[in-house]
Amino acid sequence: MIELLTLVENHEISVFIREFPSVFGFPTILFLHTLGLAMVAGVSIAIDLWILRGAPAGAPLQLLGLTRTMWFGFGINLLSGVALLLAYPAKALTNWVFYLKMALVLLAVYVAVRINRELALRGGGAARASAFDARRWAVLSLMLWAAATVTGRLLAYTYNVLFAYELL
Amino acid sequence: MMRDLIYWLTHTPVNTLVMDYRWTWPISESLHFCALALMVGTVGTFDLRLLGLGKGISPAALHYSIRFGVAGFVVSIVTGMLFIFGQPDQYFYNNAFKVKVVCLILLGLNVCAFYALEARQVLRLGPGDDAPVRAKVFAAFSLALLTAIMCAGRMLTFYRP
Repeated sequence: MIELLTLVENHEISVFIREFPSVFGFPTILFLHTLGLAMVAGVSIAIDLWILRGAPAGAPLQLLGLTRTMWFGFGINLLSGVALLLAYPAKALTNWVFYLKMALVLLAVYVAVRINRELALRGGGAARASAFDARRWAVLSLMLWAAATVTGRLLAYTYNVLFAYELL
Repeated sequence: MMRDLIYWLTHTPVNTLVMDYRWTWPISESLHFCALALMVGTVGTFDLRLLGLGKGISPAALHYSIRFGVAGFVVSIVTGMLFIFGQPDQYFYNNAFKVKVVCLILLGLNVCAFYALEARQVLRLGPGDDAPVRAKVFAAFSLALLTAIMCAGRMLTFYRP
């Protein structure tokens, strides 16, 4: 494990991300990660609140542009997240909060997909029954995004080591 | 004058609360980010609707959520003030913080102008309706400022004095 972490953090891509001597290096990747979070969690939160207020059934076509924005944000988040992980693999992979965050993000994304599918499957006639279901999923989605955001923030305060050699 | 202000801020009970308790800062940061996601999510999604995305939803239906965005804004201001009370010198001499404050003021002015000039017309639009060009300009400006605020916020660490 330590050998693998050492190998990754000594790789030229990892060193490049960490040590690029400009604000367009690591700081920009961090900003992109925040932007991606705002897009994916932000739009998801807005859709959840819309559902909680009683969105009509059969909504996904109405949401089309917004869900695309959400997935675009998720793409930015994923790529920037991988870059951050490559820069400091030992810092993330030796911290249990990182795994909790990943689990919460995956669950939140699953819930977002499920909400979209649930709304698509319901016809206009079943609006009342489907609204109740969708609302429960929306509340779950809001809780998951809040928890994922909190654990993401706490990564900066809960890590044990920054580099693999500290594990020796 | 700035030194006097910093001296005063660092000798308040709020400074003690932020700096002497290990978890005050991380908890405040977590709340700051959650509030940011709420604000950017609700306001940004409304802006996207005005720009033509998710046109099947009426702007009024999405506008309802903006009250939660306002709540998020209040939380982010309160938690942001805690950071300033905690380490004022890290913010007052930081160019990224100055950019962030300017963008926040511009965002506030943009919101005021939108509600004074366009909101009434926009909130009458139904599903599928296109927003007026002027409303789209307000929305684009709002999204650009929200992005700039996030960017400046992230850059605070890298422009520390």
